[in-house]
Amino acid sequence: MGGSLSTAVDIILNSLVLGGVFLIVAIGLNIIYGLSRVMNLAHGSLYAVGAYAGYSIVAIGFNYFAAILLAPVYVAAVGLVLERTIIAPMRKRSMIYTLILTYGLMFFLDGMIKYIWGNEPRFIELPAMIQATVPILGTQYPVFRLVMLLITAAVMTGLMLFLNKTKIGIILRASSTIPEMVSCLGVNMKYVHMGAFVLGCVLAGIAGTIAGPLTTIDPLMGHEMLISSFVVIVIGGLGSLRGAVIAALLVGAVQTLAEFFITDLAMVIVYMLMALILAFMPRGLLGEGKFE
Amino acid sequence: MDKHLTIPDKQPGFSLPTFVVIMIIIAGLAVFPFVITNRFYISLINEMLIYGLLAMSLDVLLGFTGLLSFMHNAYLGISAYAVGLFLIHVSPASLWLACLTGVFFTALVALPVGWVQVRTGGLAFALLTLAFGMMFHTIVWKWYGLTGGDDGLMGMPNPAISIFGWEIGHSGDPTAMYLLTLVVVTICYILTRRIIRSPFGAVLEAIRENEERAAFVGINVRMYKLLGWMLACTLAGVAGALFILYKGYIGPTTMSAFAGAGVLMMVLLGGMGTLWGPLVGAAIFIYIQDYISTMSEHWEIYLGIVVVFLVLFMPTGFVGLGGYLKRLKRG
Repeated sequence: MGGSLSTAVDIILNSLVLGGVFLIVAIGLNIIYGLSRVMNLAHGSLYAVGAYAGYSIVAIGFNYFAAILLAPVYVAAVGLVLERTIIAPMRKRSMIYTLILTYGLMFFLDGMIKYIWGNEPRFIELPAMIQATVPILGTQYPVFRLVMLLITAAVMTGLMLFLNKTKIGIILRASSTIPEMVSCLGVNMKYVHMGAFVLGCVLAGIAGTIAGPLTTIDPLMGHEMLISSFVVIVIGGLGSLRGAVIAALLVGAVQTLAEFFITDLAMVIVYMLMALILAFMPRGLLGEGKFE
Repeated sequence: MDKHLTIPDKQPGFSLPTFVVIMIIIAGLAVFPFVITNRFYISLINEMLIYGLLAMSLDVLLGFTGLLSFMHNAYLGISAYAVGLFLIHVSPASLWLACLTGVFFTALVALPVGWVQVRTGGLAFALLTLAFGMMFHTIVWKWYGLTGGDDGLMGMPNPAISIFGWEIGHSGDPTAMYLLTLVVVTICYILTRRIIRSPFGAVLEAIRENEERAAFVGINVRMYKLLGWMLACTLAGVAGALFILYKGYIGPTTMSAFAGAGVLMMVLLGGMGTLWGPLVGAAIFIYIQDYISTMSEHWEIYLGIVVVFLVLFMPTGFVGLGGYLKRLKRG
């Protein structure tokens, strides 16, 4: 650890990296909720599936960057099967049932992960070219984390372009506002729900693969991420994309700072932050939340 | 809001046949430890009763107020830790004072949590129970100096159980503990049933059915939700006090999300909105768990599959199955 400047740079960059991962997962959760009114509690487990898929793809000899492209496809396939068989039939039932259903799904996926990949932690082998560190303002920062930031930015830009410029994206956005109208215009809502779920799964898969090398991959990583992304979307306001961006960066920063100063009980600080924001701003930071 | 919930008839007291059936069940349970003296079975039924009380308290929230709590076991854990810490550090002999402290402390923790939670809608409420539950789990798990972390709370004394000077045994004795649990669970059941069938219970059900309309007729929805939450958490606190006395030990796994899903499943298995259904569900769940966990280490997969199956095909649980069969008979 150098001077206070280099520590500050470290903390700022680390919070951006962490916030970026939170953002990708939380946006996926938000899109699924906004379009099909299903709060997917298995989302964290899908994120873990993405990390493990990335590990397996690298382990059989592919490049890490290939894994970033392939692992989301695997997660999307898993998600598509789950959506068609289990979640779609439940869409008309009350919210409590879909919550319990996806909660059961979470345990099923966690159990399957333990069954396939075992209990011991795994590590993703990174290519040599991004294992180095670069000096930034007096601190030696890992290149990999900078690459992660770039990928996060690219994913978010791609997502925004997709939602704003393509026809499918515009249908998706319209369906989150007035689904009945979109349905009347001849769009099959079945495909909209399917598309939203698969898009969410792709995002969870990307997040899993890029976050995998950051920490170890273990079967419980999904639970922590699920809770963090809840905190993000609750603080940002349920269904609000702009709110999620601000909240993800805020939570990333608070968690990094808390981990730096008090290590073990860092998450407690994050929960306290959420409780405070909810107590005074029940609709999230921007007041855009749609709570039922 | 839910056509799957069974709505019971609204008499505050017991009808004669129900009363007779309940008396027979209680009498059967009371003589049980004197007929079958195998300690294993006495402990198993004791655990069923304690988890039955916890599942019943969750039913007050889920079945009657329409609020979902994913980690109700957290409040059992908080109370159990409070009772254990009181007995270890403050006074190893005063059992009743320890239990009162535990329940009171649970209520004290649940109050601000509930206050924050009822300010949001049903969905965010459910998500928040998960977040706060995880928070309590993390605290208990990582605060090694106070709670013993992963190892759990060790070195519980075995205080004597005495009622008005009449000593029936100490908390390490399975039969005495079993009888104490049976008495407390029975009292809690009768009290809760009474509360749920009072005008207060009717208000809770009105909120469950239609929150907006309830607000229009002048019901303070937030306050009643908070009262329902406090009732459920206090009952969970009672279950927690019984839990630590019976086990003599508590670890962080009792407060994990996995255990929380188990409690939810007990309510679903039995049938929500019936109060006695979850007691039956808990008995079935504890029995199956005891049976399967010795066979397979992948218990999680089965838990997940059973939850999904229950929600998809049997949302009213075993209690609802009875009603379904009755309707089928009538044609």
